[in-house]
Amino acid sequence: MDMDREARTPPHIDRRSLLRAMAASLALASAAGRRARADERALPYVNAPEFVVPGKPKWYATAVGFSGCAQPVLGKTYVGRPVKLEGNADHPLTGGATDVFMQAALLGLYDPARSQAPQLLGQAATWAAFDAAVAGRRLTLEARQGEGLRLLTGAVSSPTLLRQISDLLRRWPKARWHVSEPLSDANRQQAAQTVFGRRLDQLLRLDEANVVVSLDDDFLGAGPRQAPYAHRWSKRRLAWQQGQGASQLHVAESSLTTTGSMADHRLTVSPSRIGLLVAAIAQELGVGPAPAAPLAPTERTWTKQVMEALRASHGSSVVTVGAAHAPDVHAVALLINERLGAHGNTLTFIDPITSVPAPDDENSVAALAGDMNAGRVSTLVMLEVNPAYATPAGLAFRQALEKVEFTLHAGLYVDETARLSHWHVPLQHDLESWTDACSVDGTVCLTQPLIRPFYDVRSLHAVLDRWAGDTRSDHDLVRATWRHAWGSDFDDRWRDSLVRGFVADSAPTPVLPTIANRNVSIKAPTAGALMIDIRPDPTIWDGRFANNAWLQETPKPISKVTWGNVVVVSPRLAAERRISRGDELRLEANGRSITGAAWIAPGQDDKTLTVTLGYGADRTGPLPHGLGYDAFALCNDAGSWVLDGARLGTTGKHLVVASTQLHQEMDGFDFVRRVDRADRPVKKHPEAASFYPERKWDSPSWGMSVDLDLCIGCNACMVACMAENNVPVVGKELVEQGRQMHWLRVDHYFEGDANEPSSSFQPVPCMHCEQAPCEMGCPVNATVHSHDGLNLQVYNRCVGTRTCASYCPYKVRRFNWFENTGDDPEQLRAMRNPDVTVRSRGVMEKCTYCVQRISAARIASQIAGHPIRDGDVVTACQQACPTQAIVFGDVTDRASAVSRRKASPRDYSLLEEANTRPRTTYLARVRADRRPS
Amino acid sequence: MPQIFTASADTRLRTGMLLVALVFAGCLLFLGGFMDATYATLVGWVRDQPVPFSHAHHVGALGIDCRYCHTSVEVSAEAGLPPTHVCMTCHSEIWTGAPMLAPVRQSLATGTPIAWRRVARLPDYVYFNHSIHISRGVPCVTCHGRVDRMPLLARAEPFQMRWCLACHRDPASHLRPRDQVTRMDWSEWDRHPERHADFGRRMMARYHIEPAKLIDCSTCHR
Repeated sequence: MDMDREARTPPHIDRRSLLRAMAASLALASAAGRRARADERALPYVNAPEFVVPGKPKWYATAVGFSGCAQPVLGKTYVGRPVKLEGNADHPLTGGATDVFMQAALLGLYDPARSQAPQLLGQAATWAAFDAAVAGRRLTLEARQGEGLRLLTGAVSSPTLLRQISDLLRRWPKARWHVSEPLSDANRQQAAQTVFGRRLDQLLRLDEANVVVSLDDDFLGAGPRQAPYAHRWSKRRLAWQQGQGASQLHVAESSLTTTGSMADHRLTVSPSRIGLLVAAIAQELGVGPAPAAPLAPTERTWTKQVMEALRASHGSSVVTVGAAHAPDVHAVALLINERLGAHGNTLTFIDPITSVPAPDDENSVAALAGDMNAGRVSTLVMLEVNPAYATPAGLAFRQALEKVEFTLHAGLYVDETARLSHWHVPLQHDLESWTDACSVDGTVCLTQPLIRPFYDVRSLHAVLDRWAGDTRSDHDLVRATWRHAWGSDFDDRWRDSLVRGFVADSAPTPVLPTIANRNVSIKAPTAGALMIDIRPDPTIWDGRFANNAWLQETPKPISKVTWGNVVVVSPRLAAERRISRGDELRLEANGRSITGAAWIAPGQDDKTLTVTLGYGADRTGPLPHGLGYDAFALCNDAGSWVLDGARLGTTGKHLVVASTQLHQEMDGFDFVRRVDRADRPVKKHPEAASFYPERKWDSPSWGMSVDLDLCIGCNACMVACMAENNVPVVGKELVEQGRQMHWLRVDHYFEGDANEPSSSFQPVPCMHCEQAPCEMGCPVNATVHSHDGLNLQVYNRCVGTRTCASYCPYKVRRFNWFENTGDDPEQLRAMRNPDVTVRSRGVMEKCTYCVQRISAARIASQIAGHPIRDGDVVTACQQACPTQAIVFGDVTDRASAVSRRKASPRDYSLLEEANTRPRTTYLARVRADRRPS
Repeated sequence: MPQIFTASADTRLRTGMLLVALVFAGCLLFLGGFMDATYATLVGWVRDQPVPFSHAHHVGALGIDCRYCHTSVEVSAEAGLPPTHVCMTCHSEIWTGAPMLAPVRQSLATGTPIAWRRVARLPDYVYFNHSIHISRGVPCVTCHGRVDRMPLLARAEPFQMRWCLACHRDPASHLRPRDQVTRMDWSEWDRHPERHADFGRRMMARYHIEPAKLIDCSTCHR
């Protein structure tokens, strides 16, 4: 079996096209030869900046923003060029955990498609002209106390931005600030308002929770809370593996998510039944009336199991409901959690760090659209939002925009909104700005630039400052905020916070609110035939990351679809309607319709069609065109993500979906193994004798262990690997042909019943086999073994026979079919990690165990005169992993973390029947019962 | 029917084939020799530089230590080229008006770097690290030659892989006392090999240098 799809599709080549192809490849070869000219200039500094050593990385603590929250990162820079972002291990919330969005922010900075100059009516303009336009506008506004001025932003937690906005509103009392954040915690905050009488943010203490019951809440899935929640959850699970407490997860959901994959007891249920399940739990606990409708037998069984678990763990359990569900469901969940003793223990409350108004609020985007249509808006300033795309179609925001006299869009891209606005001005990326923001626990993170802006762009703060009639820089504005807050301590605290990346002890003390209103109940569900469940996309969220090629090419955790979105239907519904994978479906609801490719997935509710946001065949801007469908087009109003009474039809067309699900397929069985308890041995084949001579391994000799009981399939490792190892992006068509280049793939497996499957993730890097078949196959010795146990790939020896890839039973080798890197623009060249070779066409590549990091650690320890210590080498995937599923180290040192992991009875090798003695091994997943062991 | 081929056709074909084979073999021989010729390896070829900087003057005559300008050689993979500012530490006092130094003054005035042409250059897929070689006592002169005798800098060694490997396979004879790595003249040392017969071996033991591991591909290629 060859790794690639082209081996399976019969070639239809006649003589003429063969000759044409040969001529073309000769031309390509000569072109490649021309490109190989070396850059022979060496440019030293004129004045070397202090502490900058060429060839040595410097690290800065900073943060990147996502949905108004700060995600703390450490940025690695070489002579002023950021090349990699890693988690900030000192941060009290994340502890170094990362997610795909944090890892991919680097590409966002260097993106050549970013907007690079101001535009007026689509034509290039200057900042001077923009300043003049703002000044003119200010005169009119000043006279009318800001009447007609509307500010539209995303969720904001930045103290400086909040200060600027409130200053502006104080100056012009008739101006108004609106917030457009499609996916937010607004429903949870509203529930807190109902129950406690005040809006509060909820934070799950998953590290304290022996039992977690999730009702359609994908808390381990993508979002601003993914990294901290995954980190906390893994702490609990690791403790349980050591024999402390329990780590149970009960999930009821309509479509399989990463959280559902980790569940011990999972129930596939329609989103309309979630309210009933919450009501049933409430009734059992005596905090609510009986559910409005009877439960189905499967639902009763699940609820019974949940109740057993909850009763056995008072004070260490928590019930959480998905953000998309109605505030009354959340309100009842709050009462349940109070009865469970969760408040203050496994569920803490803080004052909201960002505030997104409810749709009927006067500050909502819906109210703004209404005012725009009514002619009450004369000046609209839109800061880092894209409402022309990311608002429900029911608001008709595009049409409303035309009724405004002066519209300004400030953003990173010339997107849909920019094209419909009078003015568009380009903003700085977070990694080139001074700003501040709170992480989800309220800790203030200072964001410092890793690089000076290389386009003609301004910071968000500076753009807003023009409206206040001032011209201060972002640096001055942020310092002013904190100088005011800290007074005489300013200099010390500022320096200390910059070094840390966050303000020490700035997280607000959790509040323990008292319940003011117990009179909440859940409305009965409307029983429609079919429902549409709209969710954020796991890799491009609400479309704001659509231009990030790393995220586009990262397979969605469950479906493994890249470069597009699909409509998920259950196998039973598909069989009923004779739908097969890739068929174009037509979805109707609210009198609106979209068409998208069908995707049949186990674990999907039969009456639910799951769609994701962010794509759209007619999206404009620099974004990739013609990908997927636009789910916003189905929405009537903000906040209602579950649509009732949907109609489903087929158009008869078949669409191409680039999914990596069946690429790099391994021959064999038992890839993911399970054990009954954490201390039970996994079933293993006895080790067979080898034809090849046994080698003695000297210290250090490297190996990796991946705990499948901790891997949540979030893909952070994959994106980290792309950034660290200069892995190229190939695009939708080549992914479709099985030619993606990811060195590390995360396989996903379904097991058991199609309706209630158990599912698991398995990250597969190179196994670094001690008896590596690839090494036997290479005719030019381009893949060889090193003394420290690495299976090396020597690019400059490789002639591209691809024998190694066909010999590799794990299918982890990637071949450069085309020149993936040679035509990269200057910005992307600047982004590359200088410690890793950039590969050219015709060369095989694969995971190296981050050999550049091993070399750096080896040289550093040799100079310091001590052996490499455990933990000196941290691979990119290991660092990125939010759940500590990946451990790397010296396998000959019995005390090392990796050896301790490998000593576990759950340790097994992938395809051990191949007798390749892989250095990457796995810890088996633990089946169901996670009571105290 | 007449004969298609004349009587000499076969001879002509054979001669042609022989010629092709000879030309092919000739090309191979030429290429093999070419890669070793100084034209390809650049050994001894002086390059035009924006400023005709003389190592012979600064190192040989004035005795300035290598690390005065190449500051990061002990701590980083890169030895580092001196910022314009370093040149001007002296040249703001001496030779202040020399026409030869005009590009240096201009660089400082305009803030644009001096664009030197690289002499000791390795391909991008080779990851050489200066700091580890210095810390093990491989003197500068081993790779860069007697720069103290070069009025204009030229490559001293061919920088081919086999040249790197020769040393990695047998490092002992190339090791020198750590505190003298920037010393240029080792003729005294070389004249009396018996006095230092043991030195390399002792250093190998002290630093745990294992040549077998030094020739792993990943030592230099990543």
